[in-house]
Amino acid sequence: MSTTAQNTSFRDLLKLKSIETQKSFRTNFPDAHQFLLGKGLELKSLRQYSAKLISAGALTGTLLLSPPSGATLVPTPLDIVQNVDNSSGDMVPQEEFINTLKKLLPSEVRPLARDEEKRLEIVIRDILNVNSKATLEGEHLNTTYGFIGAEQHLKRYPGDILENHGPYYKEGIAPGLGAWGYFAKSKLQLNPALVETEKWYSVVQTLYLPDWNSRQPYLRDWYKHRKLLIINTVNGNAVITAIADSGPAAWTGKQFGGSPEVMEYLGGSRYKKGAVLVFFVDDPENKIKLGPVDYNDLSGKDLLKI
Amino acid sequence: MSILFYDKLIVLKGVDKKIEKLAQANDERQELWQMVEEIVHHKVLGCCLTHLPQKHHHEFLEMFHDAPHDKKILKYLNEKTKKNIKKIIRDEIKNLTKDLLFLDSHKV
Repeated sequence: MSTTAQNTSFRDLLKLKSIETQKSFRTNFPDAHQFLLGKGLELKSLRQYSAKLISAGALTGTLLLSPPSGATLVPTPLDIVQNVDNSSGDMVPQEEFINTLKKLLPSEVRPLARDEEKRLEIVIRDILNVNSKATLEGEHLNTTYGFIGAEQHLKRYPGDILENHGPYYKEGIAPGLGAWGYFAKSKLQLNPALVETEKWYSVVQTLYLPDWNSRQPYLRDWYKHRKLLIINTVNGNAVITAIADSGPAAWTGKQFGGSPEVMEYLGGSRYKKGAVLVFFVDDPENKIKLGPVDYNDLSGKDLLKI
Repeated sequence: MSILFYDKLIVLKGVDKKIEKLAQANDERQELWQMVEEIVHHKVLGCCLTHLPQKHHHEFLEMFHDAPHDKKILKYLNEKTKKNIKKIIRDEIKNLTKDLLFLDSHKV
Protein backbone atom coordinates (compact mmCIF):
# COMPACT_ATOMS: atom_id res chain seq x y z
CA MET A 1 0.00 0.00 0.00
CA SER A 2 1.33 3.48 -0.80
CA THR A 3 2.18 5.90 2.00
CA THR A 4 -0.70 8.16 0.93
CA ALA A 5 -3.21 5.29 1.08
CA GLN A 6 -1.83 4.18 4.45
CA ASN A 7 -2.09 7.73 5.71
CA THR A 8 -5.69 8.05 4.54
CA SER A 9 -6.56 4.82 6.28
CA PHE A 10 -4.79 5.81 9.51
CA ARG A 11 -6.28 9.29 9.34
CA ASP A 12 -9.82 7.91 8.97
CA LEU A 13 -9.33 5.47 11.82
CA LEU A 14 -7.85 8.18 13.99
CA LYS A 15 -10.73 10.50 13.19
CA LEU A 16 -13.14 7.73 14.11
CA LYS A 17 -11.33 7.10 17.38
CA SER A 18 -11.40 10.82 18.13
CA ILE A 19 -15.16 10.99 17.52
CA GLU A 20 -15.75 7.88 19.64
CA THR A 21 -13.64 9.27 22.50
CA GLN A 22 -15.54 12.56 22.44
CA LYS A 23 -18.88 10.75 22.32
CA SER A 24 -17.90 8.54 25.22
CA PHE A 25 -16.86 11.62 27.23
CA ARG A 26 -20.18 13.36 26.51
CA THR A 27 -22.15 10.24 27.46
CA ASN A 28 -20.24 9.44 30.63
CA PHE A 29 -19.81 13.02 31.86
CA PRO A 30 -22.70 15.11 30.51
CA ASP A 31 -22.33 17.71 33.29
CA ALA A 32 -18.63 18.17 32.60
CA HIS A 33 -19.35 18.46 28.89
CA GLN A 34 -22.02 21.09 29.57
CA PHE A 35 -19.69 22.95 31.93
CA LEU A 36 -16.92 23.18 29.33
CA LEU A 37 -19.42 24.11 26.65
CA GLY A 38 -20.81 26.86 28.87
CA LYS A 39 -17.33 28.27 29.40
CA GLY A 40 -16.67 28.16 25.67
CA LEU A 41 -13.70 25.87 26.21
CA GLU A 42 -13.16 23.37 23.43
CA LEU A 43 -10.76 20.60 24.35
CA LYS A 44 -9.26 20.63 20.86
CA SER A 45 -7.99 24.15 21.59
CA LEU A 46 -7.06 23.43 25.20
CA ARG A 47 -3.32 23.89 24.74
CA GLN A 48 -3.76 27.25 23.02
CA TYR A 49 -6.23 28.33 25.70
CA SER A 50 -3.81 27.43 28.50
CA ALA A 51 -0.87 29.09 26.73
CA LYS A 52 -2.93 32.27 26.49
CA LEU A 53 -3.69 32.21 30.22
CA ILE A 54 -0.03 31.59 31.08
CA SER A 55 1.11 34.35 28.78
CA ALA A 56 -1.36 36.84 30.27
CA GLY A 57 -0.35 35.76 33.79
CA ALA A 58 3.33 36.15 33.03
CA LEU A 59 2.78 39.66 31.72
CA THR A 60 0.75 40.83 34.67
CA GLY A 61 2.92 38.99 37.17
CA THR A 62 0.07 36.94 38.52
CA LEU A 63 1.29 33.62 37.21
CA LEU A 64 0.77 30.85 39.69
CA LEU A 65 4.35 29.69 39.53
CA SER A 66 5.74 27.56 42.25
CA PRO A 67 8.67 29.69 43.32
CA PRO A 68 11.96 28.10 42.30
CA SER A 69 13.99 26.80 45.19
CA GLY A 70 15.96 29.67 46.67
CA ALA A 71 13.78 32.17 44.86
CA THR A 72 14.42 34.83 47.44
CA LEU A 73 18.09 34.62 46.55
CA VAL A 74 17.52 35.34 42.88
CA PRO A 75 19.74 38.32 42.07
CA THR A 76 18.41 41.55 40.65
CA PRO A 77 19.42 42.55 37.11
CA LEU A 78 21.87 45.09 38.63
CA ASP A 79 23.49 42.37 40.77
CA ILE A 80 23.89 40.20 37.71
CA VAL A 81 25.61 42.95 35.71
CA GLN A 82 27.95 43.70 38.60
CA ASN A 83 28.72 40.02 39.14
CA VAL A 84 29.53 39.56 35.47
CA ASP A 85 31.74 42.69 35.46
CA ASN A 86 33.56 41.67 38.65
CA SER A 87 33.92 38.03 37.79
CA SER A 88 37.21 36.34 38.35
CA GLY A 89 39.63 36.89 35.53
CA ASP A 90 40.70 33.28 35.80
CA MET A 91 37.29 31.91 35.02
CA VAL A 92 36.53 30.77 31.48
CA PRO A 93 33.41 32.64 30.25
CA GLN A 94 31.64 29.35 29.65
CA GLU A 95 32.20 28.30 33.26
CA GLU A 96 30.98 31.68 34.45
CA PHE A 97 27.95 31.35 32.20
CA ILE A 98 27.07 27.85 33.46
CA ASN A 99 27.42 29.00 37.08
CA THR A 100 25.18 32.01 36.46
CA LEU A 101 22.55 29.86 34.74
CA LYS A 102 22.53 27.53 37.72
CA LYS A 103 21.69 30.47 39.96
CA LEU A 104 19.00 31.88 37.70
CA LEU A 105 17.17 28.84 36.39
CA PRO A 106 14.52 26.97 38.35
CA SER A 107 15.25 23.35 39.27
CA GLU A 108 12.35 22.22 37.12
CA VAL A 109 12.28 22.83 33.36
CA ARG A 110 9.22 25.03 32.82
CA PRO A 111 8.03 28.22 31.11
CA LEU A 112 9.78 31.20 32.70
CA ALA A 113 8.19 34.32 34.08
CA ARG A 114 9.03 37.57 32.31
CA ASP A 115 11.36 38.81 35.07
CA GLU A 116 13.32 35.55 34.92
CA GLU A 117 13.66 35.98 31.17
CA LYS A 118 14.80 39.59 31.58
CA ARG A 119 17.62 38.51 33.90
CA LEU A 120 18.71 35.88 31.43
CA GLU A 121 18.69 38.38 28.54
CA ILE A 122 21.19 40.49 30.49
CA VAL A 123 23.46 37.55 31.24
CA ILE A 124 23.35 36.38 27.63
CA ARG A 125 24.16 39.85 26.35
CA ASP A 126 27.06 40.30 28.75
CA ILE A 127 28.68 36.88 28.47
CA LEU A 128 27.67 35.57 25.06
CA ASN A 129 27.59 39.02 23.46
CA VAL A 130 24.32 38.20 21.71
CA ASN A 131 21.36 40.54 21.82
CA SER A 132 18.51 38.14 22.46
CA LYS A 133 14.92 38.62 23.53
CA ALA A 134 12.29 36.33 24.97
CA THR A 135 9.71 38.68 23.47
CA LEU A 136 10.58 40.20 20.13
CA GLU A 137 8.25 42.59 18.30
CA GLY A 138 5.49 41.42 20.63
CA GLU A 139 5.97 37.74 19.80
CA HIS A 140 6.75 35.17 22.47
CA LEU A 141 7.04 31.40 22.35
CA ASN A 142 4.88 29.31 24.69
CA THR A 143 8.04 28.51 26.60
CA THR A 144 11.63 29.73 26.52
CA TYR A 145 12.93 26.93 28.74
CA GLY A 146 12.15 23.42 27.57
CA PHE A 147 13.48 20.24 26.05
CA ILE A 148 14.99 19.98 22.60
CA GLY A 149 15.00 16.78 20.56
CA ALA A 150 16.98 15.59 17.56
CA GLU A 151 15.44 16.20 14.15
CA GLN A 152 16.35 14.87 10.72
CA HIS A 153 17.78 16.84 7.83
CA LEU A 154 15.22 18.66 5.70
CA LYS A 155 14.95 18.46 1.92
CA ARG A 156 16.13 21.81 0.62
CA TYR A 157 14.86 21.48 -2.96
CA PRO A 158 12.98 18.87 -4.99
CA GLY A 159 15.21 15.83 -5.42
CA ASP A 160 17.49 16.62 -2.48
CA ILE A 161 18.91 13.48 -0.84
CA LEU A 162 20.63 12.60 2.43
CA GLU A 163 24.01 12.17 0.74
CA ASN A 164 24.06 15.94 0.13
CA HIS A 165 23.90 16.65 3.86
CA GLY A 166 27.27 15.43 5.12
CA PRO A 167 28.94 14.87 7.44
CA TYR A 168 25.98 14.00 9.70
CA TYR A 169 24.06 11.16 8.06
CA LYS A 170 22.93 9.20 11.09
CA GLU A 171 19.65 11.07 11.70
CA GLY A 172 18.55 10.65 8.10
CA ILE A 173 16.41 13.00 6.06
CA ALA A 174 12.75 13.71 6.83
CA PRO A 175 10.38 12.07 4.33
CA GLY A 176 8.19 15.18 4.34
CA LEU A 177 8.96 18.85 4.08
CA GLY A 178 9.42 21.44 6.80
CA ALA A 179 6.49 23.70 7.66
CA TRP A 180 7.68 26.28 5.14
CA GLY A 181 8.27 23.78 2.34
CA TYR A 182 11.44 23.59 0.31
CA PHE A 183 14.16 26.13 1.01
CA ALA A 184 14.64 26.68 -2.74
CA LYS A 185 12.60 25.83 -5.81
CA SER A 186 15.52 23.97 -7.41
CA LYS A 187 19.11 22.97 -6.75
CA LEU A 188 20.23 25.90 -8.91
CA GLN A 189 18.39 28.36 -6.69
CA LEU A 190 19.90 27.01 -3.48
CA ASN A 191 22.31 29.70 -2.32
CA PRO A 192 24.91 29.48 0.48
CA ALA A 193 22.61 31.34 2.90
CA LEU A 194 19.88 28.74 2.43
CA VAL A 195 22.41 25.93 2.85
CA GLU A 196 23.33 27.46 6.21
CA THR A 197 19.65 27.89 7.12
CA GLU A 198 18.96 24.17 6.72
CA LYS A 199 22.21 23.22 8.38
CA TRP A 200 21.40 25.25 11.50
CA TYR A 201 17.63 24.90 11.52
CA SER A 202 15.44 24.62 14.57
CA VAL A 203 11.86 23.60 15.24
CA VAL A 204 9.38 25.39 17.50
CA GLN A 205 5.77 24.67 18.38
CA THR A 206 4.17 27.46 16.38
CA LEU A 207 1.05 25.31 16.02
CA TYR A 208 0.35 25.66 19.75
CA LEU A 209 0.73 29.44 19.87
CA PRO A 210 -2.53 30.88 21.24
CA ASP A 211 -3.06 33.16 18.25
CA TRP A 212 -1.45 31.06 15.52
CA ASN A 213 -4.67 30.49 13.59
CA SER A 214 -6.17 33.92 14.09
CA ARG A 215 -3.08 35.91 13.01
CA GLN A 216 -2.29 34.35 9.68
CA PRO A 217 -0.48 34.93 7.38
CA TYR A 218 1.45 37.42 9.52
CA LEU A 219 2.74 34.88 12.05
CA ARG A 220 3.69 32.36 9.39
CA ASP A 221 5.88 34.94 7.70
CA TRP A 222 7.24 36.29 10.98
CA TYR A 223 8.42 32.90 12.19
CA LYS A 224 9.85 31.73 8.86
CA HIS A 225 13.63 31.39 9.29
CA ARG A 226 13.46 33.60 12.39
CA LYS A 227 16.79 33.48 14.20
CA LEU A 228 16.86 31.79 17.59
CA LEU A 229 19.57 31.49 20.15
CA ILE A 230 19.56 28.01 21.68
CA ILE A 231 21.59 27.34 24.81
CA ASN A 232 22.31 23.97 26.36
CA THR A 233 21.80 24.89 30.01
CA VAL A 234 24.01 22.04 31.23
CA ASN A 235 27.21 22.81 29.34
CA GLY A 236 26.59 26.39 28.18
CA ASN A 237 27.04 25.58 24.49
CA ALA A 238 25.10 28.08 22.41
CA VAL A 239 24.10 28.16 18.78
CA ILE A 240 22.24 30.57 16.51
CA THR A 241 19.60 28.76 14.49
CA ALA A 242 16.82 29.53 12.03
CA ILE A 243 13.27 28.26 12.46
CA ALA A 244 12.40 25.95 9.56
CA ASP A 245 9.76 23.60 10.87
CA SER A 246 6.85 23.44 13.27
CA GLY A 247 6.71 20.89 16.10
CA PRO A 248 7.33 18.65 17.88
CA ALA A 249 3.95 17.26 18.92
CA ALA A 250 3.11 18.17 22.51
CA TRP A 251 2.94 14.54 23.61
CA THR A 252 6.58 13.83 22.77
CA GLY A 253 7.77 15.50 25.98
CA LYS A 254 9.82 17.98 23.93
CA GLN A 255 9.13 21.58 22.98
CA PHE A 256 11.90 22.24 20.43
CA GLY A 257 13.85 20.45 17.76
CA GLY A 258 17.31 20.89 16.31
CA SER A 259 18.98 19.82 13.07
CA PRO A 260 21.72 17.16 13.30
CA GLU A 261 24.31 19.97 13.23
CA VAL A 262 22.55 21.94 15.97
CA MET A 263 22.32 18.89 18.20
CA GLU A 264 25.91 17.86 17.56
CA TYR A 265 27.12 21.30 18.60
CA LEU A 266 24.88 21.54 21.63
CA GLY A 267 25.74 18.19 23.13
CA GLY A 268 27.77 15.90 20.91
CA SER A 269 26.92 12.90 18.78
CA ARG A 270 24.91 11.10 21.46
CA TYR A 271 22.82 14.11 22.42
CA LYS A 272 19.18 13.33 21.59
CA LYS A 273 17.27 15.34 24.16
CA GLY A 274 18.18 18.00 26.67
CA ALA A 275 17.11 21.14 28.49
CA VAL A 276 17.66 24.36 26.58
CA LEU A 277 16.93 28.05 26.70
CA VAL A 278 15.46 29.46 23.50
CA PHE A 279 15.40 33.20 22.83
CA PHE A 280 14.83 35.22 19.67
CA VAL A 281 17.92 36.91 18.27
CA ASP A 282 17.42 40.64 17.89
CA ASP A 283 19.14 41.11 14.57
CA PRO A 284 17.20 43.65 12.49
CA GLU A 285 20.06 44.13 10.02
CA ASN A 286 20.61 40.40 9.60
CA LYS A 287 24.26 40.64 10.57
CA ILE A 288 24.51 37.70 12.95
CA LYS A 289 25.65 34.47 11.35
CA LEU A 290 23.95 31.17 11.98
CA GLY A 291 25.97 28.53 13.80
CA PRO A 292 27.93 28.15 17.04
CA VAL A 293 28.36 31.12 19.37
CA ASP A 294 32.01 31.25 20.23
CA TYR A 295 32.18 33.28 23.41
CA ASN A 296 35.23 31.83 25.11
CA ASP A 297 38.33 33.95 25.12
CA LEU A 298 40.63 31.06 25.78
CA SER A 299 43.98 32.78 25.51
CA GLY A 300 46.02 31.28 28.32
CA LYS A 301 43.11 29.30 29.75
CA ASP A 302 42.15 25.67 29.67
CA LEU A 303 39.11 24.57 27.71
CA LEU A 304 36.23 23.43 29.82
CA LYS A 305 35.82 19.70 29.77
CA ILE A 306 32.17 19.23 29.01
CA MET B 1 4.99 24.19 35.32
CA SER B 2 3.83 22.87 31.98
CA ILE B 3 1.23 24.17 29.56
CA LEU B 4 -1.20 21.59 30.96
CA PHE B 5 -1.05 20.09 34.42
CA TYR B 6 -0.68 16.57 33.03
CA ASP B 7 1.81 17.34 30.24
CA LYS B 8 4.68 15.53 31.89
CA LEU B 9 2.63 12.36 32.15
CA ILE B 10 1.81 12.27 28.46
CA VAL B 11 4.40 10.58 26.31
CA LEU B 12 3.07 8.53 23.43
CA LYS B 13 6.21 6.71 22.43
CA GLY B 14 6.40 5.85 18.77
CA VAL B 15 3.20 7.61 17.72
CA ASP B 16 5.06 10.65 16.38
CA LYS B 17 7.36 8.42 14.33
CA LYS B 18 4.36 6.60 12.91
CA ILE B 19 2.69 9.87 11.94
CA GLU B 20 5.91 11.23 10.47
CA LYS B 21 6.19 8.17 8.25
CA LEU B 22 2.61 8.37 7.06
CA ALA B 23 2.06 12.10 6.69
CA GLN B 24 4.56 13.76 4.43
CA ALA B 25 2.99 17.20 4.28
CA ASN B 26 3.29 19.39 7.34
CA ASP B 27 -0.42 20.26 7.30
CA GLU B 28 -1.39 16.58 7.29
CA ARG B 29 1.06 15.86 10.11
CA GLN B 30 -0.33 18.66 12.22
CA GLU B 31 -3.90 17.55 11.57
CA LEU B 32 -3.04 14.06 12.87
CA TRP B 33 -1.19 15.53 15.88
CA GLN B 34 -4.24 17.63 16.63
CA MET B 35 -6.51 14.59 16.55
CA VAL B 36 -4.21 12.71 18.92
CA GLU B 37 -4.17 15.75 21.22
CA GLU B 38 -7.95 15.88 21.28
CA ILE B 39 -8.16 12.19 22.17
CA VAL B 40 -5.56 12.66 24.93
CA HIS B 41 -7.46 15.59 26.50
CA HIS B 42 -10.74 13.67 26.54
CA LYS B 43 -9.08 10.53 27.89
CA VAL B 44 -7.23 12.36 30.68
CA LEU B 45 -10.22 14.43 31.76
CA GLY B 46 -12.43 11.33 31.61
CA CYS B 47 -9.87 9.45 33.68
CA CYS B 48 -9.81 12.19 36.34
CA LEU B 49 -13.61 12.41 36.49
CA THR B 50 -14.01 8.62 36.67
CA HIS B 51 -11.86 8.41 39.78
CA LEU B 52 -13.03 11.63 41.38
CA PRO B 53 -16.21 11.42 43.49
CA GLN B 54 -19.10 13.18 41.77
CA LYS B 55 -19.42 15.81 44.53
CA HIS B 56 -15.99 17.21 43.59
CA HIS B 57 -16.53 17.34 39.83
CA HIS B 58 -17.64 20.96 39.69
CA GLU B 59 -14.79 22.20 41.88
CA PHE B 60 -12.28 20.26 39.76
CA LEU B 61 -13.69 21.63 36.53
CA GLU B 62 -13.55 25.18 37.88
CA MET B 63 -9.90 24.69 38.85
CA PHE B 64 -9.15 23.20 35.48
CA HIS B 65 -10.87 26.03 33.63
CA ASP B 66 -9.12 28.72 35.67
CA ALA B 67 -5.60 27.32 35.37
CA PRO B 68 -5.20 24.18 33.26
CA HIS B 69 -1.43 24.40 33.76
CA ASP B 70 -1.55 24.36 37.55
CA LYS B 71 0.08 21.27 39.01
CA LYS B 72 -1.89 21.81 42.21
CA ILE B 73 -4.69 20.08 40.32
CA LEU B 74 -2.73 16.82 40.51
CA LYS B 75 -2.35 17.26 44.23
CA TYR B 76 -6.04 18.02 44.54
CA LEU B 77 -6.94 14.91 42.56
CA ASN B 78 -4.67 12.74 44.66
CA GLU B 79 -6.28 14.03 47.83
CA LYS B 80 -9.88 13.73 46.68
CA THR B 81 -9.57 10.40 44.90
CA LYS B 82 -7.22 8.95 47.53
CA LYS B 83 -5.45 7.33 44.60
CA ASN B 84 -2.20 7.81 42.72
CA ILE B 85 -3.67 9.82 39.89
CA LYS B 86 -0.32 10.21 38.13
CA LYS B 87 -0.06 6.46 37.78
CA ILE B 88 -3.66 6.20 36.65
CA ILE B 89 -3.11 8.80 33.92
CA ARG B 90 0.17 7.19 32.85
CA ASP B 91 -1.53 3.78 32.56
CA GLU B 92 -4.37 5.29 30.54
CA ILE B 93 -1.86 6.89 28.15
CA LYS B 94 0.10 3.63 27.88
CA ASN B 95 -3.08 1.89 26.73
CA LEU B 96 -3.88 4.72 24.36
CA THR B 97 -0.37 4.51 22.88
CA LYS B 98 -0.87 0.81 22.14
CA ASP B 99 -4.29 1.54 20.59
CA LEU B 100 -2.86 4.22 18.34
CA LEU B 101 0.14 2.20 17.26
CA PHE B 102 -2.06 -0.72 16.25
CA LEU B 103 -4.94 1.38 14.99
CA ASP B 104 -4.49 0.39 11.35
CA SER B 105 -3.15 -3.12 11.88
CA HIS B 106 -6.45 -5.01 11.77
CA LYS B 107 -7.27 -4.49 8.15
CA VAL B 108 -8.20 -7.47 5.99
